[in-house]
Amino acid sequence: MQLKKNLNVAEKLALATATLLGATAQAETVKDEWQFVGSILTYSEPDRVSALETIFTADKAFDDTAKLSYKIVLDSLTGASANGAIAQDDVQTFTRPSGNGQYIIQPQETPLDDTFKDTRAQFSVNWSDRLTEDSQYTIGTNLSREYDYQSIGISGELARDFDRKNTTLSIGLSYANDSVSPEGGRPLGFSSMVIDNGQFDDEQDYRNAFNATRISGDGSIDTTELLLGWTQIINRRMIMQMNYGYADVKGYLTDPFKVLSVIDSSATAKFYLYENRPESKKQHSFFALTKYHLNDSIIDFSYRYIDSDWDIKSHTLDLRWRLFAGKNSYWEPHVRYYQQSAADFYYPYFVEGTILPEFGSADYRIGEMDTYTIGLKYGFLIGDNRTEVRAEYYHQTPKSSSNEQVIITEDLNLYPSVDAFTLQFTYYFD
Amino acid sequence: MQITQHRNYFKIAFNAMASPCEILLFSDSHNLVKVVAKIAIDETKRFENKFSRYLYNNLCWQINRSEGKKVKIDLETFNLLEYANNLYQMSEKLFDITAGVLNKIWHFKKDAHPPSQSSIDELLPFIGFHQIDYAKKYFCMPKGMQVDFGGIGKEYIVDRVAQLITPICEPEEVSFLVNFGGDLVAKNFNSLHPAWHVGVENIESHRCSEKLINISQGAVATSGSTKRFFDYQGQRYAHILNPITGKPVMGAPRSVSVFAGNCSLAGGMSSLAQLQGKNAEIFLKNAEVEYLCYW
Repeated sequence: MQLKKNLNVAEKLALATATLLGATAQAETVKDEWQFVGSILTYSEPDRVSALETIFTADKAFDDTAKLSYKIVLDSLTGASANGAIAQDDVQTFTRPSGNGQYIIQPQETPLDDTFKDTRAQFSVNWSDRLTEDSQYTIGTNLSREYDYQSIGISGELARDFDRKNTTLSIGLSYANDSVSPEGGRPLGFSSMVIDNGQFDDEQDYRNAFNATRISGDGSIDTTELLLGWTQIINRRMIMQMNYGYADVKGYLTDPFKVLSVIDSSATAKFYLYENRPESKKQHSFFALTKYHLNDSIIDFSYRYIDSDWDIKSHTLDLRWRLFAGKNSYWEPHVRYYQQSAADFYYPYFVEGTILPEFGSADYRIGEMDTYTIGLKYGFLIGDNRTEVRAEYYHQTPKSSSNEQVIITEDLNLYPSVDAFTLQFTYYFD
Repeated sequence: MQITQHRNYFKIAFNAMASPCEILLFSDSHNLVKVVAKIAIDETKRFENKFSRYLYNNLCWQINRSEGKKVKIDLETFNLLEYANNLYQMSEKLFDITAGVLNKIWHFKKDAHPPSQSSIDELLPFIGFHQIDYAKKYFCMPKGMQVDFGGIGKEYIVDRVAQLITPICEPEEVSFLVNFGGDLVAKNFNSLHPAWHVGVENIESHRCSEKLINISQGAVATSGSTKRFFDYQGQRYAHILNPITGKPVMGAPRSVSVFAGNCSLAGGMSSLAQLQGKNAEIFLKNAEVEYLCYW
């Protein structure tokens, strides 16, 4: 029965294959085409900084293997940032970093410097290409410019595949030179902030006193980094990546806008000293990431450890879980936990009459802290184009320092927590 | 990718489509070989990236997660679906690219057991090419179903690669063999070139673990259960599944190799033969094709 029908089955199938192969399905490759991605991000710390950032990237592929990538970032920041001084029960007056004018801080409020306003433009370009069948290189340069800061950098990376591309090893080197030129000059480390309380005869008298706290010229920072990478495909579902990085940073690492309160035994601020940091930092970082594809989701988990000779040790745990919802959309919850120990020269304040250490800073960013971030990203299509919306909440809890020597009442809140919200919209123009 | 020069031919070797892939060329021009290698690898990777079931967000991925919604497809996909439909009709619903869901319960490795009848019954409603609604521009399939182009993809891409490199090889009289894991096409453009000796993998037979065939023109494709099977209560369960019963086709040859004008035809015929079970050889004889059959 069945066999009779099969008599000409080969001929029938031959016709079907002729149709299939004769149709010469044209390879619809997307070679030599530009790909553009645009993104807008808002970042806000209530009562502190807010930033608006636009990011634009353009990639162009050449001959299947080579790629040229451009990236332009424009930032605009406004708002206030903590200047390092502690809150007081009385009104505090500070001289602006430029020396032009003052800002007043109300009792029991964390001193924030509201002169903070800046725009930043950053441009980078990278070129990557295959070197041999198994190896690839990337070279790039990066320029960034803002009102009182500029940076220029170059980088190069070499990657080689092994074991049928299941293993990739890479080595990268980068160098950057930054220059810092704050308005009003750079303060001399541990010089006392000159505040005009009417004690000066005239403006010139004040200026002379202010200028005496300044050092000449721009600050310069040289950063050299080495990055070693290992990427391993474990199986069809799992990828692991490990990186080791070493950074050597030299130069003017002090923040010219930060001060320390010098208090007496009753915790009253007597004067303020400009901070003073070491002129070099050596940092090791270790990073491990696992990406795991489940049937309808992808889990991305990473851990980062950083240690430096400033004694700041940090641990970061980061988890992203991309859950596909239907064919063209996904949700991606994100959780990050970060913990950092304080720099060895972190002091919440100095006590009047004690001997100053060699270095000191009250910048909360180098103090001991825990932070967590929770976020959610939604990816979908607008027309045929990929689109992403991301919202994140960040909370930072600073910890008290072992360098505290005076009992300070709780209402002065020496370690205010910081909250931040991020909202980002990304659109792929391809 | 590796290019090696042998006494009178070049060999291009790379891995794709879960197989070792080789192209042999009777040529002494390294440049021509490099051009051929680039075309072949690009085309193979393109196809693999588009149709592999294992890649995230490619066309196959979108189709398999469309959950009853329409998916936009292109002409190549349409042509492959038409071809799969032809095989489905010709085989009286035995060759079915939606049968892959059965692999969730059937595991063809040593010491495996057949799944329960109830677990098979649960999956059967999600099998059946006729449930797919497709046209030139779209594809639509009920939720829970999956398609797998693996059963036709490798032969198709072997044909495609042979097609694409012919315009380069023919004027230079460079005869070639495209061999992707045993599915192969040979083209001869110079009568002085000898035939290729190719090993066709088959079973752990005592006498010969590999049968050598000579080919200089035409295609060969092999299907069989040389490695993927298990024995349970005296029965051999091999990996060729009958999508109507949800169970392996019993009594099929261990391997069937078919010779034909192109690899898709050879592959189609060998798969159809396997699906006939113990009647495989009669099927092949009646179809008047050249074949090798191992029981």
